Amino acid sequence: MDGALKLWSVVAIVGALNYLSRLSFIAIFAHRGVPVLLARAFRYVPSAMLTALILPMIVHVPDEALSASLPRIIAALLAGVVAFVTRSTLATLAVGMLALWALRLLVAMIG
Amino acid sequence: MRRVIANPDFRAGFIDMLPAALALVPFGIVCGVAAAAAGASLLGAVGLSAIVFSGAAQIIAAQLLAAHAPLAVIVLTCLVAGLRFLIYSAAMAPNLRPLPARWQNTLAFLMTDQVFAVAVRRFDAGGDPRAAGAHFLGSGFALWLLWQVTNSIGYFAGNLIPVEWSLDFAVPLCFLALVAPQLRTSPTIVATLVAGIAVLALASLPMKLNLIVAGVAGIVAGTVADFTKERWTAR
Repeated sequence: MDGALKLWSVVAIVGALNYLSRLSFIAIFAHRGVPVLLARAFRYVPSAMLTALILPMIVHVPDEALSASLPRIIAALLAGVVAFVTRSTLATLAVGMLALWALRLLVAMIG
Repeated sequence: MRRVIANPDFRAGFIDMLPAALALVPFGIVCGVAAAAAGASLLGAVGLSAIVFSGAAQIIAAQLLAAHAPLAVIVLTCLVAGLRFLIYSAAMAPNLRPLPARWQNTLAFLMTDQVFAVAVRRFDAGGDPRAAGAHFLGSGFALWLLWQVTNSIGYFAGNLIPVEWSLDFAVPLCFLALVAPQLRTSPTIVATLVAGIAVLALASLPMKLNLIVAGVAGIVAGTVADFTKERWTAR
């Protein structure tokens, strides 16, 4: 398939599906309840999906050795603690990035 | 339009979004860089950021486009990654019930992870639902506007940013800020652990299929843990 056509297909289809997902319950199910099993499963969608999404961005397996991922892993753990306590995106980002830069500097100084 | 912008609740929403929006600046730039790397035209990149308007979906789509994955795989992976919007929609539905359909349809389009978080806080504070709706519109509009600007910066000037800054790392951090605070109940911890282990264990699967499998495994594990916990507590 032609690259531009494929890109615009992605924009149209994913854009429409995203919008329908966001609108779904607001528009259709506003007046009835959600089935029990579905409501229960729903609670775990954000944690499970977002974890599956972000972990490969932190731990680069199998492309690099675990030791090479270590600064990112430690920085993410620190940022995770900050997020748990503060619930602030800005604080999480600041601590995570600063920790990563500091750890890289440390590795460069030792190594 | 002018009446909306003059609305104090709309302005308050716009301002309340700014701290989180500031944190999303690097994420938006990374999305613009990814679109450029996937060979998107300027219009295509704008289409992604303005219409898809979801950082996670944009990154996945751009990476899979660059890897020449089939359209069906790209759509399916983005769909699964976007399943969380169903939850946001279900959680937001009771709040938006008093508003006209036109408002519901517009606000739904703007409901990303961060906008949802800000809007829920505002609705929980109580008061006139129309005022909270205007606040929602303000914060959604603020983020949408910033998203277009940062994505464009990334598209045009991404290659000027030094690699050593590791700007990519801002993306998992933005989502970490949403996941970590949820780790307060045991089923959520189970869902997170299972999804995390699965996504890394299956990392060699082609076309990021590990993302879908791990996500679904985590959801099932969390649900089972929830019912198990309930049975134990009831005993």
